Amino acid sequence: MIRLQHCSACGTAQYPPREFCAACLSDCLTWDTAEALPGRVLARTILHHSNEEAMRARLPLTVGLVQFDAGPVAVCLLSTTAEPGDVVRVRLNGDALLEAA
Amino acid sequence: MSARGYDNVVLCCPVTEPYVRRSEHGAAWFLAHTLRRLLDAAAIAKSQIDGSCVSSFTLHPDTAVGFIQQAGLSPRFLEWLPMGGACGIIALRRAARAVQAGDADIVACIAGDTANESSFRDLVANFSSFSRDAVYPYGAGGPNASFALIADAYMRATGATREDFGKLAVSQRANAQGNPLALLRTPLTLDQYLAARPIAEPLHLFDCVMPCAGADGFLVMPEARARVLNLPFVRILGAIERHNAFPDDPVQVRGGWAMDRDALWAQAGLEPRDVQCVQTYDDYPVISMLQFEGLGLCAAGEAPAFVRRHDFTIAGSLPHNTGGGQLSMGQAGAAGGYLGLVEAMRQLLGQATARQVPDARHALVSGFGMINYDRGLCTAATVLGRA
Repeated sequence: MIRLQHCSACGTAQYPPREFCAACLSDCLTWDTAEALPGRVLARTILHHSNEEAMRARLPLTVGLVQFDAGPVAVCLLSTTAEPGDVVRVRLNGDALLEAA
Repeated sequence: MSARGYDNVVLCCPVTEPYVRRSEHGAAWFLAHTLRRLLDAAAIAKSQIDGSCVSSFTLHPDTAVGFIQQAGLSPRFLEWLPMGGACGIIALRRAARAVQAGDADIVACIAGDTANESSFRDLVANFSSFSRDAVYPYGAGGPNASFALIADAYMRATGATREDFGKLAVSQRANAQGNPLALLRTPLTLDQYLAARPIAEPLHLFDCVMPCAGADGFLVMPEARARVLNLPFVRILGAIERHNAFPDDPVQVRGGWAMDRDALWAQAGLEPRDVQCVQTYDDYPVISMLQFEGLGLCAAGEAPAFVRRHDFTIAGSLPHNTGGGQLSMGQAGAAGGYLGLVEAMRQLLGQATARQVPDARHALVSGFGMINYDRGLCTAATVLGRA
């Protein structure tokens, strides 16, 4: 399940999560939970280098910026076929990372 | 209300503790050597330094106050400015206001870092809470990955090409030929730039700065003090900063300069065409292009055409990053936020030796720092003038 933080005081959705709302500074935050959330790819990169030895076996790795329909923007693992402008669905994978396809 | 000018306060003594690829020394060693160079350049005693601005990424667990204890200073004004690529201009602004207000007489502004096998990885892995939680786990590409996303969006929005980025990198490498302090002086051709291996597409090897160790510094003091000490000086004609500009832009294709550039040029009483050299914060060439646009050298989205029309070498139509910039000098952590400022001071003081821009009277310097999540947060710029 994927969770997006939502302010019950002013209605703003935000990501990455934090302890208060960036719009109104309220701490009345709740979670919108879904199997997948819709968004659109804004930009993508193909990583050929990682600072972590453990990640190097997975290179090249496609990573993108995805804007959720709810507003916030997230760095996501991206399917290799997804291009900027494409509509995608974002899920949480087995490593608890956002994955967009 | 418009900000007061920077009358009667000046910058002196640009110094550099030479950059090295790796070092066994700690950051404090680099800062202390820079302080020593400032004292030597100004021929003053350590006790005459009564203010300091300090920036470093690798000084931890210490901050500015820990360093000044180690160095035996007792300043009455002290700033810790962990704002990366904007820290030099922000130090200038803080120090100049302190001098104008009488809170300090001679302020030593210093920034530097060490570099070793693990320092860069440790820094990017824990750069901020957002990047630790929501960027680093996605491949651990560090700033290369974040700036690759910005570069990708910028190329799609404006039609910028790798050749445009390459022109800046190649020009800077040519400029570095005249700078013995630059770590990367092997000539670079556009073909070599284009053929380099990919790092985080669309970024390739020569788009990326090389992390290194080193430090830079300068002094801020009343003009009258500089005259008594018989020190050549540079004037601050205008200076701006902005943090977290345009937070609602879904992807960063502009920085905070756009909010403040009119105030900068008005304070300086100049226009972009009045400067003889420009020093941008060049962690990646695309970021220099955002600065050309943001500071009004060209319109938003028009930096590709601007780059195609100008020659950025010392003898060119717009000498840019005249010491080679970070792309050729290396990025010594927080000193990257000082490098352009120190180079502009050398140009205006006539100390730029083989890379001296003829008749340099005014220089534009820009800073950009702290890519905490998906964008750089701190922007700053200053216009400096020959005395």
